Amino acid sequence: MNPSPSSGVLEHNADEDLSTPIHAPSIHSDDPQERIQARRLRIAARVEARRREALGEYLDGKKESEEDHSKSYKQKEESRLKLAKLLLYGTELVTNIRVAIDVREIHRRVEEEEIKRQRIEKLENEVKTSQDKFDEITSKWKEGRQKKIPQELWDMLNAQQLHCAGLIEDKNKLISELQQELKVKDDQYVKDLKKQSEDISLLLERMEEQVKSMMKAFRQELFNIEKAFEVERQELLTSNKKKWEWALQAHSTKELEYLVNRIKRVEDYEQQLNKQRIWDSEEYLIIKIKLEQDVQILEQQLQQMKATYQLNQEKLEYNFQVLKKRDEESTVIKSQQKRKINRLHDILNNLRSKYAKQIKQFQEENQSLTAEYKRLVIQFKELQKSMRHFALIDDEKFREIWLMNEEEAKGLISRAFDVDRIIHIQHLGLPWTAPDFRFLNNVGPISQPLQKSATQIVEEVLRQTEEEEEEEEAVSNPKSYLDLPKQISAKTTKKILMLLCDESGFLIESKLLSLLLPLEKTECYLLRLDAIFSALGIESEDDLYKLVNFFLKYQAHHGSSSQGETNPRDGTGTERSSLMSGVERRSMATSLEQRSLESNFLRTSLAPGSEAAEQTALEEGEGGKQEEKAAPASSRLIHPNDVLKILEAFVIGLRKPRDFGAPLKVGKDMRDDSKDSEYWEALTTVIPAAKQSLWDTLYTALERYHLVLTQRAKLLVENESLEQQNAELQSLLQQYLHSKINSKLQVPPTQVFRVPTK
Amino acid sequence: MQDSRPPPAPPAPPAPPALRQSPSGPRASLAAHTSATGVVPAKHTVPNFRRMRRIIAEDTEWSLAIVPLLTELCIQNIIRNFRDNPILKQLPPEYQQKVLNHLPPDLPLAVTANLIDDEGYWRRCCMQRWPVCHVDQHGGSWKRLFFERHLESLLRCFIPGTTDPNTILDLLPLCKAFVRSLHVDQLLPPVHLPPTPRTAGDQSDSGSEGEAEESSSDHYSLGPLVAGLSQLEELDLVYGVKDCGMNFEWKLFLFTYQDCHSLAATIKACHTLKIFRLTRSRVDDEKARILIRSLLDHPALEELDLSHNLIGDRGARGAAKLLSHSRLRVLNLANNRVRAPGAQALAHALEHNTNLLSLNLRLNCIEDEGGQALAHALLSNTCLTTLHLGGNELSEPMATLLSQVLSVNTTLTSINLSCNRIGPDGGKQLLEGVADNKTLLEFDLRLSDVTQESEYLISQALQANREAARQRALNPSHFVLPVTANGHRKSVA
Repeated sequence: MNPSPSSGVLEHNADEDLSTPIHAPSIHSDDPQERIQARRLRIAARVEARRREALGEYLDGKKESEEDHSKSYKQKEESRLKLAKLLLYGTELVTNIRVAIDVREIHRRVEEEEIKRQRIEKLENEVKTSQDKFDEITSKWKEGRQKKIPQELWDMLNAQQLHCAGLIEDKNKLISELQQELKVKDDQYVKDLKKQSEDISLLLERMEEQVKSMMKAFRQELFNIEKAFEVERQELLTSNKKKWEWALQAHSTKELEYLVNRIKRVEDYEQQLNKQRIWDSEEYLIIKIKLEQDVQILEQQLQQMKATYQLNQEKLEYNFQVLKKRDEESTVIKSQQKRKINRLHDILNNLRSKYAKQIKQFQEENQSLTAEYKRLVIQFKELQKSMRHFALIDDEKFREIWLMNEEEAKGLISRAFDVDRIIHIQHLGLPWTAPDFRFLNNVGPISQPLQKSATQIVEEVLRQTEEEEEEEEAVSNPKSYLDLPKQISAKTTKKILMLLCDESGFLIESKLLSLLLPLEKTECYLLRLDAIFSALGIESEDDLYKLVNFFLKYQAHHGSSSQGETNPRDGTGTERSSLMSGVERRSMATSLEQRSLESNFLRTSLAPGSEAAEQTALEEGEGGKQEEKAAPASSRLIHPNDVLKILEAFVIGLRKPRDFGAPLKVGKDMRDDSKDSEYWEALTTVIPAAKQSLWDTLYTALERYHLVLTQRAKLLVENESLEQQNAELQSLLQQYLHSKINSKLQVPPTQVFRVPTK
Repeated sequence: MQDSRPPPAPPAPPAPPALRQSPSGPRASLAAHTSATGVVPAKHTVPNFRRMRRIIAEDTEWSLAIVPLLTELCIQNIIRNFRDNPILKQLPPEYQQKVLNHLPPDLPLAVTANLIDDEGYWRRCCMQRWPVCHVDQHGGSWKRLFFERHLESLLRCFIPGTTDPNTILDLLPLCKAFVRSLHVDQLLPPVHLPPTPRTAGDQSDSGSEGEAEESSSDHYSLGPLVAGLSQLEELDLVYGVKDCGMNFEWKLFLFTYQDCHSLAATIKACHTLKIFRLTRSRVDDEKARILIRSLLDHPALEELDLSHNLIGDRGARGAAKLLSHSRLRVLNLANNRVRAPGAQALAHALEHNTNLLSLNLRLNCIEDEGGQALAHALLSNTCLTTLHLGGNELSEPMATLLSQVLSVNTTLTSINLSCNRIGPDGGKQLLEGVADNKTLLEFDLRLSDVTQESEYLISQALQANREAARQRALNPSHFVLPVTANGHRKSVA
């Protein structure tokens, strides 16, 4: 039901859209208002269609039902109406009793009221009359009192009695009347009861009758309806049967017609066939003759062909023989080739297997190699680790050995000095002065001072200057702890840096600025400078000094240039040159310093007493001081507007040294051992050669002296031993001489010789 | 098609029975035997055929076919001793049903009331006691019917002073959950020392008992009973004697002040009461006002029936007040003594009322004055559907006004103006009014002096309205006028 109208509407809409694409609101429009409009239109159309359809359908349905089920529907409707009417009349009939009773009751009430009123009136009248009579009687009593004659009194009393009796009679009459009425009412009540029972029985009767009649009616109607349906069904059946029969008849006639047609056609076809056959036979004969002729010709040709065939057969036989031979040959060759192929296949297979094997092998190798590589990497890492470890240990060891050797050397040197002193004092009788070698104070391996980063320096500078400010102009840093202010004081650097900081705020990131706000002033400066330096590419201490120096020099140059020349280009050129020159000069100065240091060493080693080097160093420091004094004045003169120009120039200049400065950093952690040998050399030459020769000569002389002395000592020992021998011999002689045997002897030895006397 | 379908179906089912039949040959007899005794033990059907056969051979039960099962015996015993030892809830459901089917209907209520809920049992009880039972009038519940009618019969026969009030109050705990409505069509007065008044009855019945016996002729006070019935929704009372016949005495129909006060207190306390009827009880203005005062702002009351009483204008005024202070839907004041002022008061209340559906003032005497007031009220009222003004001495002016009301009002479906004096002209005017109305379905104008012609035409119009209403009820969606017109045409034809 729904889709067809809606689709129709859609189509309609679409048509509209096509016909008036601009004005008609489309559902696919971009404008929402228009879309809403379109939808509304569509809904309205749909509702309209549905309404129309419903109405139409309803009416159609009605009509249809009237046509189709006209009888049953009519019967149904009829019986319904009939039953409703019956029901209505039946209830009316039943309720009529109630209504009638109601009316009777109303009438009764009215009558009752009337009667009541009459009765009350009557009673009132009676009361009045009786009251009058009573009044009369009472008034007569008074009269009676006045009467004195008994006769009269009696008469009167009688009359009174009569009156009273009349009154009572009246009352009694009334009472009896009322009682009569009551009796009538009782009768009425009984009648009413009877009537009521009658009514009730009537009601029941009617109800029963009603029920019965209704049942009857319902049954009748049901029967009627059923009959109607039956009739309708019958009709329907007969009509359908008729239709069916009619259709059958039509069908059979048509069939007959078809049959006749068919027979006719068959005959027709047969005639045609006959004709065709005759024609065909004629044609066949003609063709046959023609073909026979053809056959003769062809036989002739066949003969010819046979002859040629014979010839060809022989030729072919020969060819066949030849080909057979060739075939044999070819089979041989084929077998050979096959064998070859097999062989090659074998080789190929072998090669393949080899190849696979090799691949496997190489893969394995590769795996093993990678494993080894990994292992090596690990090893390498371990090695590195161990190397680092060993480097540390080596350093330590080196240091220990160094210290040990140094100690040893120092011990030796001190011994040498002691010896020298002793020699000088005791042997030469000269006064001895201890040589002053600064390097002797050195303990541990020689190391170069590390370069500090620019920011650290700045921090130091700032801190320092602050301290100085606190100390209230202690002037010229007393600690001189930094050898940095070679030309510039910390103060000037600070000022320059402040200036830089204030002017080149654009180099700082805005985020940082916001973060800096709550910080202290110095910290703030520090962080700002850090940012600026990172932006400018200043990293090391040297760069910072370069910058400061550059500022100062630039100022000096610029001042002069601005005085002398007004051309800004020349100024920049000079700036650059000055920068270059400054840088060169700076490098020159550093190299010179180094050289002076070396020479210092040399000099000290050569001449321990000389202090010329120190003096020169001092002089240089003084020169620095002088410059320093000039610097603050110049820094004050730097105009804030020039700062940017200076910076630009500086940055351009700084790029160049940075290029070759980079590779130097690579070997930074390599210890330079160039000075070690010098150091050790110096240690060895602590005792100069002249002294050594002196020592040598002294040594030879003393050797000789020692020889003499040793000989003398030998001799002395010999002498002593001889004396001892002598004494022993003397004692022995004495013994011999004094012994008893001598006397017994014929010749006493004492006689033989003469006893030496002492 | 139809021929081809059956053949494939039959071959399938016969196969399993054939298989089954062979082993069940001997078992069939056993099955028959067991079914005769009652319960088939579930175990015997399960085991396989071989075992079965062996057991049958040794089955001792085989020969004891007549002895009933133990369960059956138990059930019979339970039924026999149900009076002393009621066992029902403990039984399995199938046995419960069996017990219930065989319980005698004369068991004491104290045993059965709270134990048995089975409708079948209570149906038997009812059918045994009363020949005619309308179970529809008791909410379709036989149990409820039984208790309600039992209680009603007790109340009908209760004689204050002589009958023991405990006969009713003892029943209360048993029936309080089931009784929803009470229709008591007579309440007996107390019986006085019979002999002495009997002899002088003819003289003393003239009316002296009105005062003298007032104090002692109170009826049974329903207070404790109604307070106990927590489900009570409908209360229908008649303070009078039914079928007194020729033994009529006025004192039999005394609704004393004491009765009135106790009844008022009773219905005030009963918050579930929906329908209250007090008919044929000689309720006069004072008593009606007492009752209505107790009904003001009652939470549930929907129907009030005070027909066949002696209520006058003051009572009607009270009823009017009740209309605006309750949710009353039906008010019946038929056959009372309401006159024009009372009707005016009711009309005033009706003007702004949105609850009342039906108003019955049959057999009163409101006359044209009151009728006009009611008609005016109906101009603004949009709730009342049924109005009965039969037998009210109404005449033509009322008819003119009512015809105006009919052309405006769209809620009234039934009006009764029978037994009035509308007259032929009034009938014509009413016909005009009805012609403009599409909702009125019933209009009773019998015995009201209306000409036959106008009555017929009015009935035709009503017929058309009924057809329209029927169509509306049949298919509420199609609210099409042509159809009704069609129906109308048809009915005319």
